[in-house]
Formats: sequence, structure tokens, C-alpha cells
Amino acid sequence: MSTTHSHAPLEESPLTEFEVLELAVRELAIEKGLFSADDHRRFSEWAEARTYTVGSRMTARSWLDPAFKERLLSNGTETSKEVGVDWLQPTGQGTPSDYTFFYVLENTPKVHNVIVCTLCSCYPRPVLGMSPDWYRTPNYRRRMVRWPRQVLAEFGLHLPPDVEVRVHDSNQKSRFMVMPMRPEGTDGWNEDQLAAIVTRDCLIGVALPRADVTASQVPKQPKGRSGGKKR
Amino acid sequence: MKTMTPRFQVGDRVTVRDATTMFHTRTQGFTRGQTGTVVEHRPAWIVPEDEAFGIMENGRYTPFYVVRFKQTDLWPDYTGFEVDTLETECSEMWLEPAGKGKK
Repeated sequence: MSTTHSHAPLEESPLTEFEVLELAVRELAIEKGLFSADDHRRFSEWAEARTYTVGSRMTARSWLDPAFKERLLSNGTETSKEVGVDWLQPTGQGTPSDYTFFYVLENTPKVHNVIVCTLCSCYPRPVLGMSPDWYRTPNYRRRMVRWPRQVLAEFGLHLPPDVEVRVHDSNQKSRFMVMPMRPEGTDGWNEDQLAAIVTRDCLIGVALPRADVTASQVPKQPKGRSGGKKR
Repeated sequence: MKTMTPRFQVGDRVTVRDATTMFHTRTQGFTRGQTGTVVEHRPAWIVPEDEAFGIMENGRYTPFYVVRFKQTDLWPDYTGFEVDTLETECSEMWLEPAGKGKK
């Protein structure tokens, strides 16, 4: 990275058509008294505070509690309430955009699930929070359905030929979360310990949990890179 | 939620209609004319063609299905393995019994 970096002029990029539309509708709604500016701000803050740790919790609990797992797999929408997520709130009509059904996809030694939305960027936000930027790119969306093994390899995930890669294109009312398999080296762990290794990408299906990896620890510097450029 | 008798059962082979796209269909181009297997039923709902325009009370309510396709069927030059699959959901109006369509 350059040490002599100069600031580009502070210019805002032009608004897209949808941003203009959103602003216009929001201002009209506030003017008409449908909701206040503070209501809008609070809802945005709430929506952006959702995180994948709910999905991690559900997965960890499923690994420890077969009855919970059974409920979660058979009725994801209802069982989410047990971890404090009501898919019908806060709008009463589902997530902010529309009514949805929530399904958990269980990985097995023979089936690996991965989620994508080729039409837009549908994502189980109540349990995984906001989607990563790459999940919303046309690149991921069009290539995951067409070349799934190559895309997974780009994430560093190589699956053997006898494991079925099952891509789920969430094109309608359903939202999906992948439930990865419990990795080796986790015997005797409690729910908190297990939840810590179920990272966001494991719940999308582009990574597998490992006993030595959590999302909060700084990844180790790969060997051979230690003499790299200083920032 | 209304209860409807689905036309197709789990295990049935179905072909996605290769129909004209009129506005909002949620039926991807890459599934058109392709044959797969019904693996699950989904709750009935208003088809996106009506819902997208706010036609709720008089909207067409149909059963929905999860259809599983073999990747090697979807993509003739698929570079993965024979076991790989793709699942997606279709409203009943986009499905017909396998073999009735062009493919």
C-alpha cells in the first residue's frame, strides 16, 4: 500500500434510480405521517443490528439437542422463536419486504448445501443479518448456479466427487440457512463454544466450521507472508 | 393460508414451461424447458405475476413446489460431478408433467 496517499476530492457518487425512489417515498411517507423520521432511523438501526450469530446459535443447539434440531428442520419459521426471532415481526407481514418461510438445510456426509439468489439477493436476514457484499454481486449469483464447485474452490472449499453439491436458488418465498456438520475436535464442547466456530460463511455454505477457527480471532499470518509489505 | 390439493406429488417428474415472460415471473431463464423432480411441497401462495402488482384478494393462488434438477441436465457442459443438483421453487402454473413440453 502506498505511504503517500492523497485524498481524492470528497465527492458523492450520483444516486442510483432506486436510491432516489427510496428517498422520495420515504419523505412522502414521513410527510403523510405514516411513520416518523425517528421510526425510520430506529428500524434501520434495528435491521442493521441483526447478525448471523442467531444462525450460529441455532446450529450449535441442534448439534447438542436432537429434539431442537428436529423442530428446527421441520418448522424453521416457528422454531426461530425459541432463539428470539419472530419472522412475522416487526411488520406483521414477514420481513421488511414480504412474507417468507424459513427452512434449514442440513449438510450430511453425502450432501453439501449452498445458498444463492439468482434473481436478486434474497437472504435469511432475521437469522443471518445483512448479506455480505459478494453475495449480492451478479458474479456470485450467476456463477454459483452454473459453476458451483469452481466458486466454492475460490472460497477455499474443495469437496470430494462423491459429495453432492446442492445449490438452493431462493427465487420465491423461502429463505434458507445451511446447517453444517459438527466438526471433529469438538467433543464435550458447550453451546457457546460450538456457536463460536459456526461463522457466517458456514451458514451460507461456502465454508465448513473448524474447531480451531472462530470469526472473532484474527486469522494467522500465512507462512511465507510474514515479510510482506508493512502498512 | 389456504389448503389446496397439489397437482403434483413428491417424486413426480415435471418440466418447467418455456412460456413467454410477461413482467414478473420469478421463473429463471435457466430452468425453462428443463425437467426435474418434485422433492417437496410448499405452502400455497399468490403467484408473483399477481402479487407483484398488488393483486392480492383476486390473485391466483396456487400450490408451490421445490423442484430438484440434475446440474448435468441444466448445463450440457457442466464441469462438476454427476451427483450435483440444484433446487428451486416453482408455482404450479409454471409446471407440467415431464415430457409434455418441448424437452
